[in-house]
Amino acid sequence: MRHEPMVCIVDDDEAIRESLRLLLYASGLRSCAYVSADEYLADRRPPEFECMLLDIRMPGTDGLELFRILQDKHLAFPVIFITGHGDIPLAVSAIKLGAFDFLTKPFREGELIEKVRSAIEYHQAARKHLVELQDIQARYDSCTPREQDVLRLLATGSTNKGIAETLGISSRTVEIHRAHVMSKMAADSLPALVRMMSLLESEEN
Amino acid sequence: MVKHTGRTDSFNAFEALLDAVVDAIIIIDHRGTVQRFNRAAQGMFGYTEPEMLGVNVNQLMPEPYRSEHDIYLDRYRETGTTAIIGTGREVAGLKKDGRTFPMFLSVGEIRREGESHFVGIIKDLSDVRDTQEKVRQLEEQLLHADRLVILGELTAGIAHEISQPLTAIAAYADAGRSILERDAELPVEDIRSICERIAGQSRRAAEVVQRLRKLVRSGTVSKARHDINQIIRNMLLLFEYEVKKTNTKLLFYPIESLQDLYVDEIHIQQIMVNLVKNSLDAIAQAGQQDGLVEIRIKKVGSDVLISVTDNGPGVDERHRKHLFESFFTTKPRGVGLGLSICKTIAGAHGGNLRYSRSSTGGSKFTLSLPLEFIG
Repeated sequence: MRHEPMVCIVDDDEAIRESLRLLLYASGLRSCAYVSADEYLADRRPPEFECMLLDIRMPGTDGLELFRILQDKHLAFPVIFITGHGDIPLAVSAIKLGAFDFLTKPFREGELIEKVRSAIEYHQAARKHLVELQDIQARYDSCTPREQDVLRLLATGSTNKGIAETLGISSRTVEIHRAHVMSKMAADSLPALVRMMSLLESEEN
Repeated sequence: MVKHTGRTDSFNAFEALLDAVVDAIIIIDHRGTVQRFNRAAQGMFGYTEPEMLGVNVNQLMPEPYRSEHDIYLDRYRETGTTAIIGTGREVAGLKKDGRTFPMFLSVGEIRREGESHFVGIIKDLSDVRDTQEKVRQLEEQLLHADRLVILGELTAGIAHEISQPLTAIAAYADAGRSILERDAELPVEDIRSICERIAGQSRRAAEVVQRLRKLVRSGTVSKARHDINQIIRNMLLLFEYEVKKTNTKLLFYPIESLQDLYVDEIHIQQIMVNLVKNSLDAIAQAGQQDGLVEIRIKKVGSDVLISVTDNGPGVDERHRKHLFESFFTTKPRGVGLGLSICKTIAGAHGGNLRYSRSSTGGSKFTLSLPLEFIG
């Protein structure tokens, strides 16, 4: 059964945590909350959430510090900073560091839900992309080294004859490898194969 | 005719003296009837001497001094004792045009031909009182100005304090609207809960505003019995934002037994806000990362001692004797009124404000207030 997406709230003000929880609930979103960055970091198994609403100013470890720690740990969820009016420059530099967006208190009507939904969409798309990539990599890994050679040459546009010449094998052998490759990669056409390979390559970069 | 030159000379000298003296001189007999009314008295009260001769001197006083004067004279006639001879008192005078004014009266006794006469010397205090009142007003304006300066410096924190409940209110309201749109049946419980929370947050914002208004209140001193722990707790709320921003620790060690002090709450808060702000500023100016400000209350003898200690750089030896002077400051944009005002307020409450070095090398300011001061 699919659950509604979950949002993580990190803010030291109880009223803000509560009102955000209700606002998200009213839009069909679940939430979990932490009173401080330290409390979140101390939680060894936080629930799976799609995005984080992070207060930029908190006692102890503040929002920016937590963000840097998250980046160091390569935790991949979008972070939306909650800032007061005076902290807008801080928030802007946070965006440059990779934060997804920021919201200024008090929030304009609908603004919070809009940005949270954007972040969730972004995260879901990113996750889907990641899964697809892992899938392609697995299939590639299931090809033999020779099949991988054929695959790479196919993707660059070589003809069967060209591949045979380059690899010093017969055209017939190329044809057999090609059939295996198309099957293992689950590619129904050459363009599809080319696309998969370019995805793999850009990931390597 | 026998010429009594000696007597005539001294008589003339006496007349000249009466005329020349700046203060009013009135001579009365034992019944209070005016015998002499000098030039200064004429100017002060608006009567000529002939108008006053033979008239009872109590005409020159409004009630209750008028009746009191009669009582004093009666007592003297019966018992031969008076209280006022040799001392002086502040009373009120009544001019011919009906205006009253503050005056200082000193009385001496003259024995003449077996009878008692009294000479009253009167100083008009109107100008003195006016000046004192002006000074008092200026002092109050100065204290008020200091509170406004403090307010200005705490603005970011105050804006944050109000913005928090407002943010929650807006979010609750939006949530309420969403829920109403979504649910076919009216979710009474949800909406009721949201309304309660909105009301609660509104009160929270109102409290911040109330605290602010008290802080900048202008007007006369109003003393009452207050719990000193509570005064300090209320004051500390103003610094929540600053403390969060800089990660400085602000610790308060209240006094265990309840201590009620008879003070003007706003003025005491003003001293404390000045001291805490100074400590925070000193720590910030020195770029310190592990700033610590501690407030402690102790009872020592018949005094309550409130100390504000920080682990900042402390006050330089050279500056120490100027510390409480007006306009002395080491801050780049400071005005330097804070500490001199604090010392004045402390004095007005019968207490004192002192500086010493803390054990961590920072500053320690100690405000002492007497427990039983009725000012």
